[in-house]
Amino acid sequence: MKILLMGHPNVGKSVLFNRLTGANVIESNYPGTTIDYTKGYMRVGGEEVEVIDVPGTFSLDPKDKAEEVAVKMLHESRDATVICVIDASKIERGLYLVLEIIEEGYPVAIALNMWDVAEDKNIKIDVVNLERILGVPVVSTTAISGEGIKELVSRSRGTAQVEVDDIFERVED
Amino acid sequence: MKRLSSIYFGILGVIALAFGIADLLVTIGGSGLSFGILEIPCDAFRGGWGGLIILSAGLFYLAGIKNISEIHQISKVMMGSILIWIIAGLDIFAMITESIPGGDRSWFNTLEGFLETYAPPYAPAIFLLPFSLVVFYYILKKERNILKKEKDEE
Amino acid sequence: MTKLGVDERWDLIDKISKKTVTFGEYKHTLKDAIGELTVKPLTGIPIAIAVLYGFWSFFSSFAGFFTDGFFVKLFDEHWLLWLQEIFPGKESWLYYIFVGDPSATNCFEAFGVLTSGFFVAIGVVLPAIVAFYLILTLLEDSGYLPRLAVLIDTILHRIGLHGYAIVPTILSLGCNVPAVAATRILETRKERFIMMTILAIFIPCGAQLGIMKEVIPDTMGFVIFYLFMGYLIFGFILNKIIPGKTPEMLIDVPPYQMPTAQNVGRKLWMRTSSFFKVALPFVLLGCVIVNVLYLTGFIAWMGDILSPLFIGWFGVPSETAGPLIAAFLRKDLAVAQLSAIEMTKYQMISAVVLVSIYFPCVATFAMMLREGWKELLGSIAVLAVVVTLYGGLLHLIWILLGVA
Repeated sequence: MKILLMGHPNVGKSVLFNRLTGANVIESNYPGTTIDYTKGYMRVGGEEVEVIDVPGTFSLDPKDKAEEVAVKMLHESRDATVICVIDASKIERGLYLVLEIIEEGYPVAIALNMWDVAEDKNIKIDVVNLERILGVPVVSTTAISGEGIKELVSRSRGTAQVEVDDIFERVED
Repeated sequence: MKRLSSIYFGILGVIALAFGIADLLVTIGGSGLSFGILEIPCDAFRGGWGGLIILSAGLFYLAGIKNISEIHQISKVMMGSILIWIIAGLDIFAMITESIPGGDRSWFNTLEGFLETYAPPYAPAIFLLPFSLVVFYYILKKERNILKKEKDEE
Repeated sequence: MTKLGVDERWDLIDKISKKTVTFGEYKHTLKDAIGELTVKPLTGIPIAIAVLYGFWSFFSSFAGFFTDGFFVKLFDEHWLLWLQEIFPGKESWLYYIFVGDPSATNCFEAFGVLTSGFFVAIGVVLPAIVAFYLILTLLEDSGYLPRLAVLIDTILHRIGLHGYAIVPTILSLGCNVPAVAATRILETRKERFIMMTILAIFIPCGAQLGIMKEVIPDTMGFVIFYLFMGYLIFGFILNKIIPGKTPEMLIDVPPYQMPTAQNVGRKLWMRTSSFFKVALPFVLLGCVIVNVLYLTGFIAWMGDILSPLFIGWFGVPSETAGPLIAAFLRKDLAVAQLSAIEMTKYQMISAVVLVSIYFPCVATFAMMLREGWKELLGSIAVLAVVVTLYGGLLHLIWILLGVA
């Protein structure tokens, strides 16, 4: 199994990656730290899973070299599961990328990272409902302190492709 | 409380401003000055840039004292204190790093030489340091007030 | 699979977020208010000055503590004496390469692999690099760095770069190699080229800063100022003459955070150790090569040939040829070597500036080649012009001041 960590620049992908794989990737509190991809491995229930920390990208239309790397990585890994890391305090912008990836037919799991920041800003997200509408696992995480990481790992194994049309139907309910 | 804090940080601001100006004048004048336990350094780095920063700290305090309980105003007072901590903290760090090695004679300094490094006179920022810490008390107290208020509303 | 258009996608997101997200009343916190102060020019500039002051003050205290406090003593009074005593054959070329000048009384002058090589790498550069990366990591993790970028945006725009260019520039003060890699966050080829070129030419790395502090403590401020002016001037010129766009970039400013000790420690360790994997072999190899070139008379020969250029145009002694060759391998080594050449204070400044702006070190060179050979050739062309003009300008200044 192969997992790609994707998301906007500076949402904490590298922190999450280090948490997941015990690897050492330079992580910083500013966008653009990861400019090449990094591979790591983690064990989930006895199975070896390859995890790739992909450079941050706002959408699948690349704007700079680092984003080109990201999109290329995605297209070269047809069999991968994508963990979309999104900034919980700017959820709408993150969902754009999520939808793009879902439309391309990848199984997706969502990590709502920087949950603490969203709480500080008094933003409340109904995770259960979001999960129902999108049809993919949604886990709130705070990667810096490690909250939610375990749940994210176990949930991301059971994810599957979803159809955008179904999302349209479910959002109207 | 509000009035008292305004007066307190106002006085601190004026003193910091004066220290900053003194630093700059002494540096331009070209020879160091020493009054008892106060020493105003004369070098382009500590006196010049350092003086400019102490001066800005004073201005931050003075800009923050009007209507001090408002969050943007407190942040200015806080920033004034942070600037003083940077200067004073690094002055103290420089003292520490100077006090340990022994110079030409031996690996480590003698106890006497070690203690001597910490004897006065001190630079202005070090005198401002303890008084600038009061900002913590003020912020903690304010936060407690906010929590209390929220509870009362519930 | 259904694919959506951009608008359809945003509509869908709108619907989803209406059902799942509620935005509570957003209260300004102290963190936000302080964040604002750090990006507004009027309040942000004094804060930036204070941060840079703190950066430099910490750097010199920390590096001075280890280098002047302990390593100079260890290397000059123990290591050098011991090596001079036990190493056989004072006349042999082996002795010359490994221990260096037998009459040397300190590790700067000896210039052997085991004496100057180790002293520069461990005694001078290691403390400087640790100090630099410690502060850099704290600034990064706290979230100050992107705010500095926003603040500096207006200045950098004039030289054809947006505020984010400050990130590679600051990284470059540690080591040019990761800085060249970091230029990839810039959007256009033009921007990447300008940034890569001017930082490789003008920004001294941490190793160089550390050694400059040892060799020319009094005039270092001027050297850095001169280099920084060059960075702005040539950035501005390149922006005017190179075709292409420098688009606006919106910077996402992350929230202020308390850096965690574990994160800072791990990053510091990774950066320092990866720096040393690159630096140590080059320092030692550089010593060997330069010593061999001296022994074979190559450097004296080069010095003779280039002496009209060195003496007439740049106003430095012709012996500077040696350090300039070493500079291609390691700049810190080159500056250390300059300290052993006899010259006036002003010639020293010129020589240090030349060493800095002349060719990037070989590791940076390799990194630039990875970014594309066309860019590399372009950078070298710019470099040739800059060294000739900007290096010569300094000589002109000295002549006008009547000190050359």
